[in-house]
Amino acid sequence: MQIYLPIAELSVNLFFLIGIGGAVGFLSGLFGVGGGFLLTPLLIFSGVPASVAVASVTGQVVAASTSGALSHYRRGGIDMHLAMYLVLSGILGAFGGVAAFSLLRALGQLDLFIALGFLLLLGSVGTLMMIESVNSIVKQRRGVVVRERQAHQHNWIHGLPWRVRFKKSRLYISVLPVLVIGTIIGFLGSLLGVGGGFIMVPALVYLLRVPGNVVIGTSLLQVVAMMGATTILHAVQSQSVDILLAFCLMIGGVAGAQFGASANKYLRGEQLRALLAILVLAVAIRFGLSLILAPADAFSMAVIGPGGAR
Amino acid sequence: MRRVLLAVLVVLLAASSASAERLVSQLSTDLIEITSSYTGQRLTFFGSIEPDAGAEQRFVEGPFHVVIVVTGPAQARVARQKTNVFGIWINTDQVVFEGFPGYFQVLSSGRLLDITSPTTLAIENILPEAQPTLQDEAGWWKSSVFGRELVRLMTQKGFFGLNESGVQFLSNSTYAARLTLPSDAPPGSYLASTYVFKNGEIVARRAEGFAVRKTGFERFLAVSASQQPFVYGIACVALALFTGWLGGVIFKR
Repeated sequence: MQIYLPIAELSVNLFFLIGIGGAVGFLSGLFGVGGGFLLTPLLIFSGVPASVAVASVTGQVVAASTSGALSHYRRGGIDMHLAMYLVLSGILGAFGGVAAFSLLRALGQLDLFIALGFLLLLGSVGTLMMIESVNSIVKQRRGVVVRERQAHQHNWIHGLPWRVRFKKSRLYISVLPVLVIGTIIGFLGSLLGVGGGFIMVPALVYLLRVPGNVVIGTSLLQVVAMMGATTILHAVQSQSVDILLAFCLMIGGVAGAQFGASANKYLRGEQLRALLAILVLAVAIRFGLSLILAPADAFSMAVIGPGGAR
Repeated sequence: MRRVLLAVLVVLLAASSASAERLVSQLSTDLIEITSSYTGQRLTFFGSIEPDAGAEQRFVEGPFHVVIVVTGPAQARVARQKTNVFGIWINTDQVVFEGFPGYFQVLSSGRLLDITSPTTLAIENILPEAQPTLQDEAGWWKSSVFGRELVRLMTQKGFFGLNESGVQFLSNSTYAARLTLPSDAPPGSYLASTYVFKNGEIVARRAEGFAVRKTGFERFLAVSASQQPFVYGIACVALALFTGWLGGVIFKR
């Protein structure tokens, strides 16, 4: 069954869209990540214009993170004070990201920067996750007790000025690193159409030492608020949000995430992280190859103007 | 006697060259509506070549050739070239073609060069290859190189093309032609120009317009996105929040 996407201005198979939404939703439920970093590339590789893919996936990421954020909120797993700083700086970063997005599109370099961005981001995060999970698997085999978190160990970040007390996280730290993390993730997230949970969570855990019980909830709330703002910014600035495309992906994604979350119980943490690392690296390699291999056609074309750059 | 014959011949020739044809044609539709299940549309062109009103002749004499040119809405289109810079393939050069037709298909009843001269084809702007015009900023050389590549890309997408057996004659003076508009052909107003050729000369012509337009819900969405982008963006977010919440409720996460 074909469905016509009014902003992308092309006709796509409805079941294909719901299918990739569901598959990515399953993986995001399994690994506890937003899934934007898989969905945006998949859409681009299947022929949706990069600008429409990025802008529409931001809407999908909001939907995918909402139910998680709500359930964490009910359990009290969100540090609202910390989330506020992250969201405000995230929206600031999103303004920059959306402006860069429009500028790059006008220059004809958007696809290049999306590919480079994914390559660097996913390549580095994937490699770090791979090393970390392989290490912990090896240690576990040898019978070493792995400590989850080194509580109250201080590093240079804790010595910065403008310290603020975050009661729920039991932290008394400078707001500077919080704002920097929020801004960077806002910028990258709006430029690449990813929620940034996979950078946010490690950053909160390893840099700020936020306790585990509020990390996921705070990160999810930040993703919902920041990507919601980014969706509106994209709709206003580049007019390339396809609500129908986003909705098809949401339906698949929301349903798939539930099955992924239940499949999550059958796999162990280190194994999950190793699998996720492989997935992340595979996407990074795919983007890397598209940059270094000679393209099938050295010439390409696009329409100039608002809406989808066809 | 010989002079008289010659005179008669001259008069006859003059009479036949004064004969005029007109074209009566019909398009299968003048409005193509894009709905949510739109996957493209087939168009049919019908036409008949008749003696012009007021002409003395009762029937037309062929052989005729018919050429139909379907032109889509003008856009600003950019052609870009990737080159290898330090091992990475980057778009390094581009030419913007203003007022470039988003769609250009030519259907004819025979080889264009058999039908008429290249001069006529050029004057009437019938060839797809002739669509990229000289862009002052880029200069003559780049305009022609990138223009040729742009036409090639448009042809690959099915937006540009030349079908030299696209028009079928049903009788000496009636013809039919079919064209399938792809689903991603740009919405807007289209022009179908029909030329009737006889001995390499245009003896009749006719232009008909048709529109490709989003209707109903699709139109509502597209119009909202471009005219009320802020409200549209908020609606997208509200839909996302609602879908996410509903998913959580349904699956009791």
